Amino acid sequence: MLPMVPVLLLAAGCHDRHTPTASTKRLDFNQDVQPILASHCFACHGPDPEMRKAGLRLDLAEWAMKKRPGHPDAIVPGHPEQSELIKRIESRDPHYLMPRNAQGEAKPMKPEEIAVLKEWIREGAVYRPHWAFEKPVRPALPSVAANNSWIKTPIDAFILARMQKEGLHPSPEADKETLIRRVTLDLTGLLPTPAEVKAFKNDQSPQAYEHLVDNLLARPSFGEQRARYWLDYARYADTYGLHFDNSRDIWPYRDYLIRSFNNNKPFDQFAMEQIAGDMMPAKNLDPLIGSGYVRLGVSSNEGGTIPEELRVNIARERTEAFGATFMGLTVGCAVCHDHKYDPTTQKDFYSLSAFFNNIDERPFNGDRPVWTPVVRIPKAQNQEAYDVVFAKRSEIAAQLRTMRAQERGLVQQWLTSGQDRPQPVAADKLVLRLRLDEGGGELLNNTAPHATPASFPIGKSKPAWGETTWLWPDFRMDTGTRILLGQMGDYDWNQSFSSGGWMMLRSAPNYTVENTSGALISKMDTTQHNRGWDLSIEKGIVSVELVNEAPKEDDLKKAAVKKGKQKDETFHYPTPTDLTAKDLAPNKPPEKKQPAKKDAKKADKPKPKAPEAARDTTPRVAIVVSTVDALPLDGAWRHVFFTYDGSGKASGVKIYIDGAPVATHVVSDTLGHATIRTQAPMQLGWRWPDAAPARDTRYQDLRLYGRSLTADEAKRLPFEDYVAEVTATPTSEWSDDQWHAVSQFYLNSVNRMYRADQDQIAELNVRLDQLSEGGDLTLVAWEKPSLAYADVLTRGVYTARTERVEANTPHFLPPLPAGAPHDRLALARWVVSPDNPLTARVTVNRMWYELFGTGIVETTEDFGIMGDRPSHPELLDWLAVEFRESGWNIKHMYKLMVMSAAYRQSARSTPDQLAKDPKNLLLSHGPRFRMDAEMLRDIALQAGGLLVDKIGGPSVKPYQPPNVWEQVSYPTSDTVNYVQQHGDALYRRSMYTYWKRMAIMPDMDAFDAPMRDVVCTRRQRTDTPLQALVTMNDEQWVEAARALAQRVIIDGGRQPEQRIDLMSEILLSHDPRPQMAEVLEGSLAQMEKHYEADPKAARALVSVGEKKRDASIPAPELAAWTMVASEMLNLDETVTK
Amino acid sequence: MKQHPLCTDCEQAPNVMELPIPAGLKREWAAIETRRRFLGRSGKVLGWAALASLLGERGASGDAQSPSPPSRPLSPQALRLPMFAPKAKRAIYLFMSGGPPQMDLLDYKPNLAALYNQDIPDSVRGTQQLTGMTAGQTHFPIAPSHWSFKRYGKSGTWVSDLLPYTGQMADDLTIIKTTNTDAINHEPAIMLMNTGNMNAGKPCLGSWLSYGLGSMNDNLPTFMVLQTKVNDKENNQPVSSRLWSSGYLSSEYAGVGLRSGGDPVLYLSDPDGVDREVRRKMLDAVEAINRQTLAELGDPETNARIAQYEMAYRMQASVPELVDLSKEPQSTWDLYGPDAKEPGTFAYNCLLARRMAERGVRFTQVYKRGWDVHGNVTGVLPILCQETDRASYALVTDLKRRGLLDDTLVIWAGEFGRTVYSQGGLTHDNYGRDHHPRCFTTWMAGGGVRPGITYGETDEYSYNVVKDPVPVRDFNATILHCLGIDHNKLTYNFQGLDQKLTGTTPASVVQGLLA
Repeated sequence: MLPMVPVLLLAAGCHDRHTPTASTKRLDFNQDVQPILASHCFACHGPDPEMRKAGLRLDLAEWAMKKRPGHPDAIVPGHPEQSELIKRIESRDPHYLMPRNAQGEAKPMKPEEIAVLKEWIREGAVYRPHWAFEKPVRPALPSVAANNSWIKTPIDAFILARMQKEGLHPSPEADKETLIRRVTLDLTGLLPTPAEVKAFKNDQSPQAYEHLVDNLLARPSFGEQRARYWLDYARYADTYGLHFDNSRDIWPYRDYLIRSFNNNKPFDQFAMEQIAGDMMPAKNLDPLIGSGYVRLGVSSNEGGTIPEELRVNIARERTEAFGATFMGLTVGCAVCHDHKYDPTTQKDFYSLSAFFNNIDERPFNGDRPVWTPVVRIPKAQNQEAYDVVFAKRSEIAAQLRTMRAQERGLVQQWLTSGQDRPQPVAADKLVLRLRLDEGGGELLNNTAPHATPASFPIGKSKPAWGETTWLWPDFRMDTGTRILLGQMGDYDWNQSFSSGGWMMLRSAPNYTVENTSGALISKMDTTQHNRGWDLSIEKGIVSVELVNEAPKEDDLKKAAVKKGKQKDETFHYPTPTDLTAKDLAPNKPPEKKQPAKKDAKKADKPKPKAPEAARDTTPRVAIVVSTVDALPLDGAWRHVFFTYDGSGKASGVKIYIDGAPVATHVVSDTLGHATIRTQAPMQLGWRWPDAAPARDTRYQDLRLYGRSLTADEAKRLPFEDYVAEVTATPTSEWSDDQWHAVSQFYLNSVNRMYRADQDQIAELNVRLDQLSEGGDLTLVAWEKPSLAYADVLTRGVYTARTERVEANTPHFLPPLPAGAPHDRLALARWVVSPDNPLTARVTVNRMWYELFGTGIVETTEDFGIMGDRPSHPELLDWLAVEFRESGWNIKHMYKLMVMSAAYRQSARSTPDQLAKDPKNLLLSHGPRFRMDAEMLRDIALQAGGLLVDKIGGPSVKPYQPPNVWEQVSYPTSDTVNYVQQHGDALYRRSMYTYWKRMAIMPDMDAFDAPMRDVVCTRRQRTDTPLQALVTMNDEQWVEAARALAQRVIIDGGRQPEQRIDLMSEILLSHDPRPQMAEVLEGSLAQMEKHYEADPKAARALVSVGEKKRDASIPAPELAAWTMVASEMLNLDETVTK
Repeated sequence: MKQHPLCTDCEQAPNVMELPIPAGLKREWAAIETRRRFLGRSGKVLGWAALASLLGERGASGDAQSPSPPSRPLSPQALRLPMFAPKAKRAIYLFMSGGPPQMDLLDYKPNLAALYNQDIPDSVRGTQQLTGMTAGQTHFPIAPSHWSFKRYGKSGTWVSDLLPYTGQMADDLTIIKTTNTDAINHEPAIMLMNTGNMNAGKPCLGSWLSYGLGSMNDNLPTFMVLQTKVNDKENNQPVSSRLWSSGYLSSEYAGVGLRSGGDPVLYLSDPDGVDREVRRKMLDAVEAINRQTLAELGDPETNARIAQYEMAYRMQASVPELVDLSKEPQSTWDLYGPDAKEPGTFAYNCLLARRMAERGVRFTQVYKRGWDVHGNVTGVLPILCQETDRASYALVTDLKRRGLLDDTLVIWAGEFGRTVYSQGGLTHDNYGRDHHPRCFTTWMAGGGVRPGITYGETDEYSYNVVKDPVPVRDFNATILHCLGIDHNKLTYNFQGLDQKLTGTTPASVVQGLLA
């Protein structure tokens, strides 16, 4: 036990807002009570049912007051003494006392907290909904009697009222020099020039400050400064972040941000474009480029990656980032279980993640700088023409989208009309139909009419179920899964038969075209010279074989494979741009020392050194027919089917892909009348007994017919047959998947307008590709036409799927409009809908944080139960409503804030202010804090006259100490070597510096720049010795000091005082105070003495950096001034805003 | 109001400024408080952890400038960190990135020889997910270790012929055969091992220790990271600064890299043409002006900045002294071997780790990459062992000779183990091994752990744990325990949750490992 000692005063600042200040005022549930309940009680008596103890839930009134059999009433409104809750928290009995920590140890509340809870119950224990989940309404301005001459904007009325309540007083306005420096830094990230300072000081008009603000808001650097913050909120980086951590091309997204802020794009438009720009009508590429936001997170291509796991992780990361930036909620806490404090359930989390789970992409990236979906940006000279075509394409896409939104109605009309009814394929001689929709269990059902046998045992090694959905949740062969189908398919050369179904070949980082080769459906005995038949794939070439006997190693077929044309990897659905082979090529590591000797993939997976087997000289008596074109290994479902007419001739074999006959080679036609019958069982994925596995293939609706289907039947088999089956039942019984299948069929195959529109889009795509030739690529989002869904995962484990959920917004927030499709576009609209209580608040709060250093809600990322309460709740709501009603006008909001008297105050603090409000949350003086990493480097470059003011473009590589990338990277990563650039690249604004996630620029790192692995909505602000080392010793800072010295020597005049004045005007916007000038002059004298005595050292110092110095200045003089400039650059006042 | 008698909340603790402690400590406390002010919800533990470290390490000797010695010093225990008397004050973590093959090194499986090239039984493999690299294999042939094993020491520990030096220190080691992880690929696994979570964004072990225990010296960082030079013959999985990142903790707790090329600490050296004297004068001028700013604006932050510039100046002197090996006696080179003279080798880094331990660096992590032996095990593994075996032995022995091993915990671990079946082709001369999460071998030595034991048992395939599993969270809980920290109590409130290194799944200290 601790000795009785006074309460630690220093800690009081964090908690003063939770303590009621005056006894006369009734308690505010949200401000005063809920934080106490949340931090002490909700872990066991909150929203998470798994953790709930004694059936008591204290976050909702109806639960807290509910009678619990065998338990005394927790809360008796009006009667704290009868309330079990109070008895428990006041108890002296350690076995009875509450609350307890996770280890079950008693953790008593503080006396003042107990007092609040007692008072609250005495007042009637009134619950209120959590403040942030209620729609903000514009509050009346507080009436502030005294001192209202101080008030300049409505903001000030709220600030002043609160200060008065706490006995604080506002500070006087800062002097003009301080003001122009502060506002210029905040709005542009750069210093005002001495000339600007002078002009502002001389402008005596009452509008001088407002004119200055308007001028700053109109500068291009405004957009850069805002975009710089947004890059953290969006987790922008130039590499994909894991394993190889290769480069990734998405810098056009950064340019999009700058453009958007400079054009003052309304925030609702801005937010929607980033969430769903690919689905919005558009006149140019901007919205689509903006949708790159969704894909900014980390990605991987590690060799052993399990795609299902990575896909879940990527959707999770996107959801967490979205939650922090747009909702201000820590939704990620609900990955494993219902949120312990917020009402976010696990189901809410996965429903939200589903919006980001339906993008036409593979989860791994092939170690490439771009991976689809991407868009190619036309070069400037083609942009106008491109935009015309793009707008047209967008209009048609919108029509398609409208039709899809109405698809269920259209399907109803179609079915009622009786026209174009889907025709089933006759079930005549259908002997095997494996739907493979069992979802688990020990048996696979044969759903062919009168099937014998009616089912097949799965065997010991189970398949994976339900990882993706096609016609229905799917089935995937796992390593070792054997599906033995007995003597099904026991046909001879003179019998006709057909077989095939929907299949998806494995697509994963280490699944190359080579190792996905194998038997898809087979009844073939490799111990009997391959007698039997099978449908197989090798390097993408599909083959049908009917074999009497054949050599083990099939050289003939290999020859056919070589002839097969390997298609470029494209996607099944139209994407904005298909990639060329050049785009698909991985970046090469930059050529520098130690070129990698061995290929990384080889290192990951050594080639087995199989001993050369004796050559099999069995003659070939077989039909072998192979497709001419290879199927791409792109993770898409394809319907693969063949028919054989019993003629004993290769011409009797036809192969269909997605219902269409495809061109084939005859590889062998020597079967004649030889038998193909074998005792080996028919199986999926293997040849008997254990050869040629087509690993991890997914299957659906597999068929075997004892006849040769006609071309027309083969065409109807993939979709129409199934749709005919579904439409034979009443629509009221259809599942969402069935609706989806029928709608897709109707739109793609029946609705002529839809098809015509699609054809037109295909034509326009060709035109767009031509017009964008040679342009830069950037990653974008691109929605699949499938249903957006996700699986709820027990404890977040990717294999532990429990319930499939459709995309949806959290249940405790306003719902999506009835009847609208649940997709990203709906989410985007929802985010900025007038009913959304969070978006406007969260966004204005971050603006406030950028300017004032701390948000009105300090936890910018968490507006939930455990987040901080707003220091000025009414002000926050007022700003949120103002933002929305201004048409989401971003510049308007920044202007409003910087025009406030609160913002314009002097930063000088008194001991009284520090004692009452150490964090200055109540703003009794102006904001003052150390600048962010990028701003610091930028102003150093600017002060030295080095800064290059080019906007946008690819990232650049300025100075970096050696061996920063090299010592952490994978040897064949394209970011293993840092190759510094020269010239202008050294002096661009820091937001353009190349951002490698695994090793960010060490100077940025030292000043708390985040790695951008995950979303960051507020940076830490630390003081460490490493920061001092950067600003004293980093080459670019030394060079900047030298450039600044040179500048004041040339421009400042002959006298040291004049030069020091100019240096101070450049960096601090004011003349040096006399004491400061004295110190600097004294230091200058010392440095001059030192460097005159040691000219060699002087020359060494002034040679740092690549910018040529002015040789007319003697080295000792420049060196001495360089040290003075370095002193100035390292001042607290310089690095502080 | 009276404090609740059962209250152990440290917020109810004394006002530091009123405590009878040296004035210098109060000043440092004030500086820490200033920083705290900027860390948002950093909360109580940070402050108290930091203060505890100041008092714990230097409170006893007092402050040279203090006019009167403390009349009633507070023990570190009263301040709750360390939470109980620690066995180790510092730790050195030798991280074997890539996943060493346990059955070729320390998990002796003599019966495997008879099973050469036989498929591993399905009953053993069970439902273990395979990586994408072997999922395509038809067979999973058992690859017995190419090397013989011998027994060493009084403990009779079986050690592979690849590790003759490790064998010599067998009686000092606490070998854990049953470490196991949930991750099967490098990125998530290495993150889980270092930060307790497979996804990025969490603080690492070293950051938690710095945050909880603070610094033991005035001149060097609390947590330092050493990278071993890459050997091109090996398969070098990447490491990244997120492994020594402080995550949501303040970035002052992140590991500071000590580099073998260029400046040992980034930006440490004064620029060309700036000597110590010039630097001192420059800093004097900066401080003089900053004091004016402080007087004018009253921002405590300015005070903190003045202190950090002084710390930077001290580091500029102390780091070069740290890496100056010229005064090391011949016995050092005899022990560590000739490699230790070459900067960036594992041996050199082990020697530096010992020097850091002597100088009060709280946590040193040495990364050695290259253990990802998917193929050519017989070609690559001897190289890896040659690089690390002697140096690891030298470090432990050196610490022991200097009396430092008693309060230094040395940890040797990778992120997972490797499969008993061969990846790719198996021949009598060579094989490959894929990632294996279900069991892998690690060891500890020194402060807090029981020497000369082997903990846990694996099945005869080194595939499954049959007795005493040690999941990563228990492994980390045990490390914290040795340093005097209850892993359940070293928490940081972030996103509304008391976050901790060992995560949300209940973890426990492995009592069987403790001395």
